[in-house]
Amino acid sequence: MTTEHTAQPMLPGLRVPANRVSRRAISYWTARALLGGALLVIAEIVVATASGFAAVWVSVVTATAVVAAAHAVIMPRWRYRVHRWEVTDEALYTRSGWFSVHWRIAPISRIQTIDSHRSFGERIFGLANVTATTASAAGPVRIHGLDRHLADTLLDQLAVATGQAQGDAT
Amino acid sequence: MTAGPQARPARSPKPARPGEAEGDWLRLSPRSLIVRPLTDLVRLLPLVAGLLILHSRAGDGLIWGMLAAVAAIVSGLVHWATTRYKITDERVYVRRGLLNQKTLSVARDRIRTVDVTAHLLHRVLGVCRVSIGTGRNDYRSGESFHLDGLTRSDAEDLRALLLVANGTAVIAAAAAPSASGLAPDAGAGRPAEPDTEPAAADARAVTAHAAEDPAPEIARLRLGWLRFAPLTLTGLVVLGVLFGAVLQVNNDTNIDLATTGPVKLLVGDFAALSIVQRVGVGTVVAVAGYMLIALIGYIAVYWNFRLAGYGADTVRVTRGLLSIRATTISLSRLRGVEISEPLLLRAAHGARCTAITTGLHVGRGAENEGSVLLPPAPRAVAQRVATQLLSIPPELCSGPLTRHGPAALRRRYVRALAAAALVVLAIAVVTWVRHGPAWVWIGSLALLPAAALVAADRYRNLGHRLAYGWLVTRTGSFARRRSIIAADAIIGWRIHQTWFQRRQGLMTLTATTAAGQQHYSLRDVPVARGLAVAAKATGDLIKPFLSDPGQDTGDGTGGHG
Repeated sequence: MTTEHTAQPMLPGLRVPANRVSRRAISYWTARALLGGALLVIAEIVVATASGFAAVWVSVVTATAVVAAAHAVIMPRWRYRVHRWEVTDEALYTRSGWFSVHWRIAPISRIQTIDSHRSFGERIFGLANVTATTASAAGPVRIHGLDRHLADTLLDQLAVATGQAQGDAT
Repeated sequence: MTAGPQARPARSPKPARPGEAEGDWLRLSPRSLIVRPLTDLVRLLPLVAGLLILHSRAGDGLIWGMLAAVAAIVSGLVHWATTRYKITDERVYVRRGLLNQKTLSVARDRIRTVDVTAHLLHRVLGVCRVSIGTGRNDYRSGESFHLDGLTRSDAEDLRALLLVANGTAVIAAAAAPSASGLAPDAGAGRPAEPDTEPAAADARAVTAHAAEDPAPEIARLRLGWLRFAPLTLTGLVVLGVLFGAVLQVNNDTNIDLATTGPVKLLVGDFAALSIVQRVGVGTVVAVAGYMLIALIGYIAVYWNFRLAGYGADTVRVTRGLLSIRATTISLSRLRGVEISEPLLLRAAHGARCTAITTGLHVGRGAENEGSVLLPPAPRAVAQRVATQLLSIPPELCSGPLTRHGPAALRRRYVRALAAAALVVLAIAVVTWVRHGPAWVWIGSLALLPAAALVAADRYRNLGHRLAYGWLVTRTGSFARRRSIIAADAIIGWRIHQTWFQRRQGLMTLTATTAAGQQHYSLRDVPVARGLAVAAKATGDLIKPFLSDPGQDTGDGTGGHG
């Protein structure tokens, strides 16, 4: 608990967004990390076999496997502790990342489009992500790893809220 | 045509088109039937020439050339026949496409800029291309709002119509004189369309209103500014384009340049020199050639540059030697100005200005051109232009900024030195593996002090300021930029903190906006300071999310372990 607490990224002065993402996101991120790591290891083995499997390759492949496994164990849990979101009447407020952390604040009145997207992997785990774009090309706010039903509700809620606001301050 | 009720000026330029009901679909000028095939052919010229030469022995070269010409003419005809535009009280529509018809529309009050360009062929035929800058930035390619091949008077009509009607009654009132000045010209000019002196008339059209306008001139090209031409990388871009063109002609026509007489002669002479002479001659030729090309580029792009007020709410940039460009920018939509100083330009006390506005994209190269407010010019002029356009105190454009503190300084050094050390290490490893001479990697150690110098300069340039409702940020070393953005143009915040920044109590605060580069960052600003800036700039937005630093820890552990 205490070690994880130090891992909890904090920005003194900025409140933590109220809601966590779905716990199933941990499984999804783990699966994705494992898949990525496995692909890398397989690629290395293929290259190693093609070049006669020198002794140095054994250590390289082992190291990759260990790092990938550690990544698949640590990253999803760390990420789950960081990823948070909150919708108020005025703004959409999110925190994401793990090693590096991003905060985003977008005023509801400036939101132009709200999309929900479900990749194949996310569908397997019953997840969805929601993207809100503003007039700024640099300002899309994404909430990853939401429960599918919650994402639908959020989409409706945001659509109603943005429908009431006028102007886009461009 | 006085400034009546608000709706009147919006419609007032309309009667200048007799017999046309409000909201009719209008066509491009028939002259675009000539312009487009010719431009297409010029673009295809290397290819056509290549085909002609390639197939000349077989005898079917002529057929290929004819086919290309026919294709160009047909595409021009189709473009003219399928492109229409319509202006109503609220919106502007552009419809085009033969098989996939596409209609673009924009609300007139969303129009920020109108960019009228005319290249050489356009000018000969008295037509031009009008691009309308809107608030949308998600256009895919081919969806931009432009009309290629309007007669100059149509273009002037459109431009005046769009920006005159844009906004409040005050603006309409102030712009009314220019609109009435335009009406007789348009009314009389249209029937007598075939002009006897198109090129001269066109030059007049593009600059006409700026010339007859009593509005104040803000800046104009001085011959002395030419000294700044070689100090930007624009010359290199021109060089690259020239090189590419030569290569393409070379490839397409199968003529081996290296075997032609003059080149052989030059190479032969060059080979006869000693190494020292070769280096000397090579350097002199390269520098002189570069300076010449940069100078030509500067003159071609910025000749007759003039920045002047136009009506109460718009400013107008006109420039160009062969291709004329007149950009009209709505001042109430101008969200800020960027003063950029590439290293060499900075050393010569020069700077240039670009507009931060929605509808004109700020980027490198060609896209950047539309938003040019001032070509490379003395720094004092750049600061004056920014001050005057934004009506802000001069200290925001030239005054000192708040530095980001010792942690940011340390981070500049660590990053620069670490990057340099990595390069040195890589060079050392390569020389060791390849058994290269030791002086290579020992020489590369010189990168370290160079990196330290860059780091010191980067820190010195890093700063921000929030005052009078404007956010000023400055970053960079090789290309130092000071961006002055209106606080009320900020439509969101991004905060980024890497693990290293977290340990040093720094963060990168980014204001997102719909204008210019879309995001403007305060790099490595101390956390408390950054949040204070964000809270002050857009009070109500970020305040609900600020908390007492003390409470924060308890809140964040949240639940499980």
